[in-house]
Amino acid sequence: MAHIKIQNLIFSYPTSMDKKALDDVCISIEQGEYVVLCGKSGSGKTTLLRQLKTVLAPHGKKSGEIFFSGVPLEQVSQLEQSAKIGYVMQNPDDQIVTDKVWHELAFGLESLGCDQKVMRARVAEMACYFGIADWFHKDVSTLSGGQKQLLNLASIMAMQPEVLILDEPTSQLDPIAASDFLNTVRKINTELGTTVIITEHRLEDIFPYADRAIIMDGGKVIANDSPRSIGRLLYLENNDMFTAMPTPVQVFYGTKSSGDCPLTVREGRRWLSRSFPEAPAINQIPCAPASDKQQDIALSLKELWFRYEKDSPDILRCVNAEVPKGSLYAIVGSNGVGKSTTLKAICGICRPYRGKVKIFGKAIEKYKPSELFGGCLAMLPQDPKSLFVKKTVREDLEEMTREESRIAEVAAICEIEHLLNSHPYDLSGGEQQRCALAKVLLTDPKLLLLDEPTKGIDSFFKEKLSKILCKLKDRGVTVVMVSHDVEFCAKYADLVSMFFDGQILTTDTPRRFFGGNSFYTTAACRMSKHLFRKAVTAEDVIGLYLQNKEVQE
Amino acid sequence: MKDTFSSYHPAVNFLFFVGAVGCGVVFLHPAYLAVSILCGLSYYLFLGKTKSAKAFLLMLPVVLILAAVNPLFNTQGSTVLFWLFGKPYTLEALLYGGAVSGVLLTMLLWFGCYNYVLTGDKFTSLFGNWIPSVSLLLVMVLRMVPNLIQKTKQIAGARKSLGKGNEGKLKEGLAVVGALVSWALEGGVVTADSMRARGYGTAKRQSFLIYRMERRDWWLLAVEIILITAVIVSACLGQVNAEYTPEVSLAPVSWGAVFYGIYLLIPLALNGKEAILWHILRFKI
Repeated sequence: MAHIKIQNLIFSYPTSMDKKALDDVCISIEQGEYVVLCGKSGSGKTTLLRQLKTVLAPHGKKSGEIFFSGVPLEQVSQLEQSAKIGYVMQNPDDQIVTDKVWHELAFGLESLGCDQKVMRARVAEMACYFGIADWFHKDVSTLSGGQKQLLNLASIMAMQPEVLILDEPTSQLDPIAASDFLNTVRKINTELGTTVIITEHRLEDIFPYADRAIIMDGGKVIANDSPRSIGRLLYLENNDMFTAMPTPVQVFYGTKSSGDCPLTVREGRRWLSRSFPEAPAINQIPCAPASDKQQDIALSLKELWFRYEKDSPDILRCVNAEVPKGSLYAIVGSNGVGKSTTLKAICGICRPYRGKVKIFGKAIEKYKPSELFGGCLAMLPQDPKSLFVKKTVREDLEEMTREESRIAEVAAICEIEHLLNSHPYDLSGGEQQRCALAKVLLTDPKLLLLDEPTKGIDSFFKEKLSKILCKLKDRGVTVVMVSHDVEFCAKYADLVSMFFDGQILTTDTPRRFFGGNSFYTTAACRMSKHLFRKAVTAEDVIGLYLQNKEVQE
Repeated sequence: MKDTFSSYHPAVNFLFFVGAVGCGVVFLHPAYLAVSILCGLSYYLFLGKTKSAKAFLLMLPVVLILAAVNPLFNTQGSTVLFWLFGKPYTLEALLYGGAVSGVLLTMLLWFGCYNYVLTGDKFTSLFGNWIPSVSLLLVMVLRMVPNLIQKTKQIAGARKSLGKGNEGKLKEGLAVVGALVSWALEGGVVTADSMRARGYGTAKRQSFLIYRMERRDWWLLAVEIILITAVIVSACLGQVNAEYTPEVSLAPVSWGAVFYGIYLLIPLALNGKEAILWHILRFKI
């Protein structure tokens, strides 16, 4: 008997009755399965997941049936649903209800009215299983994003659910915390046999372990198959979702190979080795030599030192950087090393106690604020929500300028014309990001600072963002970007800097930078390192593969 | 340094403060006031060190001014010190003002200690079992405050990096508050979902009791009750009577004040005992 069975589910929201948010969805999920649900933003993933728990199901017109262990879901009592169907949401912060870690762990059990003995045992058990024991007594506000999301998961697992539903749980986390979290989910699935249904952008970490992938588009299930076969289907259909597939899959189908598709870097390496039993003739993409041409410098940082308080440790320790005009400059590095602080120092939110920030050759102190932020410098913060202060996107844009033509122009660049009359909070993460970017662009900056622009947005929106950035570059805007997203930087940046221990250690073009690294680099590079040199994107590997095959023939 | 008294059960802590603050409000007798201020101050300094000392230096002028101001409004009393604006400034009224501001000082000190000892989570866990919904509400407020502060900073920073916030403080403040409200409401919806998803409201709510009454807690509770009863009895016998106006008449200091002193010294005594215990333990090794 299927654990969860969805039969001919049709759903539409009251605001748009004619458009079906879910269109004839039929899915059957077995006990203990690990199912990943993919699709673009707005394809109905969250709507579908919320139907699986009555209290969270949105209002609207619904037909069709959902069975939980053979019983129609409406007939399963609220108490049983709360305990047996666990639901983890996107935002780690807002999901937490109480102020102490131990209290949050116990929250579900308190609601279910368990007695003290059971609560004690379960809370202790979960704290150990999730490695929370060390921060059991801490205040929730002192935790990192990754810890918070782990706490949300643990608090739900304490109720011992049979099904675990996760709705983009790692979109707000950095890559290391995200892969930690996903490993824990996998551990729960394999060790406890809990059924897992998850939606994720970061498919590289999930795809190899999932039993099944379900692809949704426009409220319909368009594919429902094993991860190995799904790539082929998307490739043949030329679906937008193909860009979200793990690099080995993209390379495999990009080279029009046939046979078993590799899913992990390890499998990808083996497959490449089998394809080229002897060392390939062409093993390098011709690198443009470093130009000696003297370029204009848009931004220069000289020996910046910064700390928040007199007695606190230094966050920036001698940061040096020079950003050429009209380039896309990316700063990568792990969490909490001072990347965001550097951006804050550039735009004057933090004032370094030593060192100099020069923007277009002029020290930052010599600018008047109106001069600096009116057409010279602007920053897009990490959370786009912090920029929205009005009821509609249009009003928010009008706060910056009254000229309709300017707004129309910027809206066209960011492709948000159709969103202007919506409330900013009604938009998806990618849409919010673009609206916030539009607001920032209205100051007409020549130097644009971006703090984690790809956080929480799917591969489809990333492409759009990259196009916008290219358009800006063509207009002579210099972009400085702080990011965790190695793949994005490798593909689109002109220069990449490594930030570590409060300073910038190395700066180079992405090809040389990522091509030289063996851990901190892209999946394409890790996969092809033994055969090709400095192939850092899927396109690089595909190009070299095809060239070599031609030579062989 | 770790405070031993804080490690006792919250109920024991809470009862102590009820006693200390309750008696502090009622007793105007200078001897009782002096005992309470001395004990309160030393415990407050013990808990907060230099931070407490700074806070105390801030309290002091307020209290002194209050004492000096009282005779301006209260002209009763037989010993006139001098005339001010055609009104008598009397010694008795000054003393009475001193006693009242002494009461204020004891309040400030004991509530200062209370803040260190009974943190928010202890307080809520104390009432969690009687009134679970109110206690949960308190917990959620406690969580919201730091959250909102952090978000305010974030919004203000984001606006600064756009060059906003230079024109008019009020307008800018309103914009930030507006953004904060919609952000908080949005978060509230998620929190509500998260609560319902974890079965909030489906069964009778229980509270997870992280603190348990140990034997030492029962003992201390008994000691507290005995001492406070003794103090109350002494008060009923008139040992704390103090009249300031029109003439000063004080009850003679008696055994009640001693019990009061012992009661208020409980936290410091426990810390002292602990220090000696550890000293001996280390000596044995």
